[in-house]
Amino acid sequence: MAFIDIFNDIWSTLSNVDILIRIALSSVMLLIIVILSLWQNVGMETMFLWSFFRGFIQIVLMGSILTLIFDISKIWLLYIVLISMCVFAAFSISRRYRYPKMFLIELLAITSSSIFILTLVMFSGVPAAFEGIIPYPPQGEFIIPMGSMVISNTMVITSIVLERTKSDILKAKGSVEAALALGDSSTNAVRTILRDSYKAGLMPSTSRVAILGIVSIPGLMSGMIIGGVPPVEAAVYQIVIFLMILSSSFPASIIANALFTRQFFTKEHQFDLVFLNQLAKIEEEKNAQIKKNKKKMDKLKEKLRRKNKK
Amino acid sequence: MSKLNQVIIPTTCLYSLQAVDFVINDKKILSDISIDLEPGVITGIIGPSGAGKSTLLSLLNKLLSPTGGEIFFDGRNLSEYPSQELRKLVGLVQQRPHLFAGTVRYNLEYGPKIWKIKYSDEDLLELMSKVALPADFLDREIDGLSGGEQQRVSFARSLANQPCVLLLDEPTSALDIVSSEIIENTIKQLAKEGMKIIIVTHSLQQTQDLTEQLLFLKDGCFIEKTSTIDFFKKYDEEEIRTFFKSKTEEE
Ligand SMILES: Nc1ncnc2c1ncn2[C@@H]1O[C@H](COP(=O)(O)OP(=O)(O)OP(=O)(O)O)[C@@H](O)[C@H]1O
Ligand SMILES: [Mg+2]
Repeated sequence: MAFIDIFNDIWSTLSNVDILIRIALSSVMLLIIVILSLWQNVGMETMFLWSFFRGFIQIVLMGSILTLIFDISKIWLLYIVLISMCVFAAFSISRRYRYPKMFLIELLAITSSSIFILTLVMFSGVPAAFEGIIPYPPQGEFIIPMGSMVISNTMVITSIVLERTKSDILKAKGSVEAALALGDSSTNAVRTILRDSYKAGLMPSTSRVAILGIVSIPGLMSGMIIGGVPPVEAAVYQIVIFLMILSSSFPASIIANALFTRQFFTKEHQFDLVFLNQLAKIEEEKNAQIKKNKKKMDKLKEKLRRKNKK
Repeated sequence: MSKLNQVIIPTTCLYSLQAVDFVINDKKILSDISIDLEPGVITGIIGPSGAGKSTLLSLLNKLLSPTGGEIFFDGRNLSEYPSQELRKLVGLVQQRPHLFAGTVRYNLEYGPKIWKIKYSDEDLLELMSKVALPADFLDREIDGLSGGEQQRVSFARSLANQPCVLLLDEPTSALDIVSSEIIENTIKQLAKEGMKIIIVTHSLQQTQDLTEQLLFLKDGCFIEKTSTIDFFKKYDEEEIRTFFKSKTEEE
């Protein structure tokens, strides 16, 4: 019954003319990035369109049932929601980066790290210490938004890390092989590459913390202050969130890297040629896609040129 | 340096390859290679570009494993030989020098650190003199090095590991005559001290000066194994020139 009400509610709101105008206006921005992507031959047009369309539907649905989820106070039910978020995160990453075993690797990395950190925070003194700001004992209202921030950031950061690791290993294949030829183990031979990948992944979030309050005022904190929470307490809470994001992403990246880089090598500390071959094929498909997009763009340009002549 | 002639394995047969195939992406790169290599001589591997010489070297220190057939080293099947131990004994100088980011010192100490071999600064300098690198290069970043200098660092890096077999993949291809000569003398000296040397080369002069026996590869097939003397008796100049074709074309 409740769900039908929710859908009716969504429908009546979305068919409101004011809302439609807002959506149309925002679509102009989407159009701008799509045109830029075509112009610069980035090949991300469909991804932009699809991400925003999908994200929009999801967030509308989520927003509408949020009131239901916020009321969850049964711990096991909260865990089910959190774990489903992890599964979904891993799934969408594995769709974007189609490397072998990507889903499993991301699932293991994201779930273990973020659930561990969230559990730690939930059952430590943190919620109690924030009594009055967040509900205590822990409730959906507090756990779900926090969990979503931790999980989505962990997902993004691990994917940056893995992408970096992949391209660096391929780029440095010769010197990795040189290290192996000296009798180095495969794990040790990629150590500096992994180190750089952590830097690449964690740097953006860390710089975001470093400019907190000067350039950026996070939405969460603003919301809390508007909602009547004293600014200092909201600030402390915000810092806790950032710490959670980093302390979940870092171990998740280590786990993901360990599982991912293992695939590059055989037990005999050699490059696994079958795996490298798979990667090369994936890369080829990606490049073919970009080429196709380029052709599309050329056609479009041609059309415009003809029109101008007329 | 006394360190270099420490471990010498007594063998009757250094390597024995039995019907070795190597296939990659359904492409046959080496097919049906059977050779026995005796220790105690400098072995040259020659053949036109793309013959599979570098691939063969990678098989010998197990950076690659044969897709068919078997390789024995010192009487032991390579498939059962622990890779890391093997690579400590069998050094490889890659065709293109892939140095590690950092200083020359970092590169030279990389192998010894794995194997807990201690090097003093004097030891390092002695090592560098063997490959005609000036002493002031020790703490230089590798970024600024020329191609030939990099190649010499790469050679020294493999030597630093104190291997008893050394696989050399065109170690002087980027060097001038003077440094080439120094390297060639070093190779001769190492061989005298008991190190087994297998060298891929495109240089006619190097083949004559250094090697005692030759493996001749072509299109992934093993054509023949002869002593260097017989090889130069058997073929006339024109034929030999075609065997070393890729290099003469470059020159
Ligand atoms: N990873 C790989 N994937 C596909 N083909 C490869 C790969 N490695 C080597 N080959 C092919 O195998 C053949 C032999 O290569 P290899 O490097 O062993 O030749 P080479 O005799 O050392 O030649 P050169 O004298 O030019 O160094 C070449 O045709 C090369 O293109
Ligand atoms: Mg080669």
